[in-house]
Amino acid sequence: MPLDLANYVALSAVMFFIGVAGVVIRRNPLIVLMSIELMFNAANLALVAFSRAWVNNAGHIFVFLVVTVAAAEAAIGLAIVVAVFRRAKNVDLDEVAGMHG
Amino acid sequence: MISLLVVLWLVPLGGALAAWAFGPQLGRAAGWLASALAFVSFACAVVLFPQASNATGVGQTLVTWIPGYTFGLRLDALSLLWTLVITGVGGLIHVYSIGYMWTDRAAARFFAYLNFFLFAMLTLVLSDNIVGLLIGWGLVGLASYFLIGFWFERPAAVAASRKAFVINVFGDTGIMFAVFALYAATGSISYADIFARAGTLPVGVLVAVCIGLFIGAAAKSAQVPLHTWLPDAMEGPTPVSALIHAATMVTAGVYLIARFAPLYNISPTAQTIVSTVGGITMVTGAILGIAQWDIKRILAYSTMSQIGYMIMGVGVGAYQAGVLHFFTHAFFKAQLFLGAGIVIHALGDEQDVRKMGGLARRMPFAFWAMLLGTLAIIGFPFFSGSYSKDAVIYGALEAGHPLLYAAGVLTAGITAFYMFRMIFVVFFGPDRTEVPDELLAIPPPARAAHAEAHAASHAPAWLMNAPVALLMIPTVAAGWLSIGGNASPWYRYFGTMFGTSENVAGPSLPIPEFASQLIVYAVVTVGVVIAYRRYGAPAAQSGAIERLRAEALGMPRALRRAFFVDDIIAAAIVRPARALGSAIVEIVDPKVIDAGVRDVAWLAGALGLVARALQNGLVRSYALTIVFGAACFLAYFAVLGAGR
Repeated sequence: MPLDLANYVALSAVMFFIGVAGVVIRRNPLIVLMSIELMFNAANLALVAFSRAWVNNAGHIFVFLVVTVAAAEAAIGLAIVVAVFRRAKNVDLDEVAGMHG
Repeated sequence: MISLLVVLWLVPLGGALAAWAFGPQLGRAAGWLASALAFVSFACAVVLFPQASNATGVGQTLVTWIPGYTFGLRLDALSLLWTLVITGVGGLIHVYSIGYMWTDRAAARFFAYLNFFLFAMLTLVLSDNIVGLLIGWGLVGLASYFLIGFWFERPAAVAASRKAFVINVFGDTGIMFAVFALYAATGSISYADIFARAGTLPVGVLVAVCIGLFIGAAAKSAQVPLHTWLPDAMEGPTPVSALIHAATMVTAGVYLIARFAPLYNISPTAQTIVSTVGGITMVTGAILGIAQWDIKRILAYSTMSQIGYMIMGVGVGAYQAGVLHFFTHAFFKAQLFLGAGIVIHALGDEQDVRKMGGLARRMPFAFWAMLLGTLAIIGFPFFSGSYSKDAVIYGALEAGHPLLYAAGVLTAGITAFYMFRMIFVVFFGPDRTEVPDELLAIPPPARAAHAEAHAASHAPAWLMNAPVALLMIPTVAAGWLSIGGNASPWYRYFGTMFGTSENVAGPSLPIPEFASQLIVYAVVTVGVVIAYRRYGAPAAQSGAIERLRAEALGMPRALRRAFFVDDIIAAAIVRPARALGSAIVEIVDPKVIDAGVRDVAWLAGALGLVARALQNGLVRSYALTIVFGAACFLAYFAVLGAGR
């Protein structure tokens, strides 16, 4: 049985919401970053799936862009985490709330 | 020749700027410079006389603002006459001022103001359009403000200058609206265009314009009820009173109405208003002149009364007569003020006539100057004033106003009385300069409170005497120009410039002109005789101190308070305006404006308090907010998609 477009979209949605849950629930910044990666890749999966179903290569190309940006984001994010850890000796996101109003 | 007109106009401005900028360096030379420049202007006017002495005159465009809207100068018969008086009499008064202000350290400032006044007045009369007129009109008011308040360390002078300015600005507003209406109705600002289209103006606009102009004229020319600033303006130096508040500025209203003769000629309603107000002013000024003790105030009220004559004259359409009275009045009133200035100066700034007396022996020159001026102002036969005043009075009869005629004759008698009252009290009887105030019922604050050490004034006497001596000639002779009625030089000079008024009556006049003159002379004689019996006769002079005291104490309240005009204005306008002002300060300002500002600030703070709760610094809560927003979006599109 060939995979239907709906299967891909459903998988993508599941991955995305797992990522959302990870971002919202977890307090470890590393896990949060990983969850964000998961959301990126969920979006990538949806893009690729739609691109193939509608025979339009724009989606494929856009995925490369997203992968690149995600790599950059991960690099910056990890750097921030390291910097925060050095300062606060702590990696709990809720403790790093110095920017409150 | 064209540039000569601009020279004539701008030279006094140059003098004003020079005296203002280099006053300390110039010192007394400022006075000489200012006088010389006034005479330069006068010379220009004399040179231009042959070309300018007709209805068209010479003109020059200065600035083309928008094509079709030009500002320019025009010197025609009417403005030439004013120019000659402004610069000629003005120049003499400049010279006199050098002597009068000899010891005043701020004399350079004084001459800067005087020259500025000349410039402003020339702007007013030389402008060939209504906007330039309005500018000149405003500048003249400003110059008057400066000069009345020249001794700014005196509270009375400051109050008087402010009062004059406010009342003048009230008049300026009238002219401003007239200018707006004229422009809206004719689409032009130049006199020539406006007068060419005068016949096409709707009657309502015409009357409104004429009344607006007259409000301005009334304020500047001290007509009832806008006259109250003029007596107070006597706080200024005496040469200022002579130049501005007698000879030139206060007659600007006469110029205005003569200039707008083409409009007034076709508006009998406006003419009636003008001539009636002029008549009322004429009588009121004369009656109040009786009740004054300050020599300058006597002259101020006489000025007001004489301008009433002029306004009445131009108001009934007797333009030549009204303007002739301006012309003769400029000389004899300048003469009177300058003569009074000599007396005041010699007595160390004493202005109360009760403190004078017997000065004919001590100051024969001042006495003769004042006597000639007085004979001219009362219309004594063959003196200048008699020709002009008789012409104005008879003009009222010609125009069909017997009531104004009677008022004019009566006022001539009252004028004779109060002017000779002044002559007898000041120059005859016992010398009262050393008599204590109490014996003469002089209230302390009413006295000139500025008996500064004027003893050190050693100006050459000729500086003050020569201008007065020169003025004696026209004071006596200026009226002779009009001998011979319509064939005289005076009437030929103006020709048909003013056109004819619609309300000139038919040929049937009750009395011929010479009979009218005889009536006036008779009434004048009665006035002089009464003045002699009350103040001049030996019996009156023997007990002069007691008599003057009794008169001062027995003066009716209405006369002492000048018919309560000031009190009425204070009650009707000044006090409500003050109350409104303090209401605004106490209620509107704190409760509306300040409260509004405070409330806006409070609102911003409150909004901030709410908004800062969102900014909690927790990254996860931000993420949740984003998720929530995304969910809302999704829900919205889901619903929209379902609805389609």
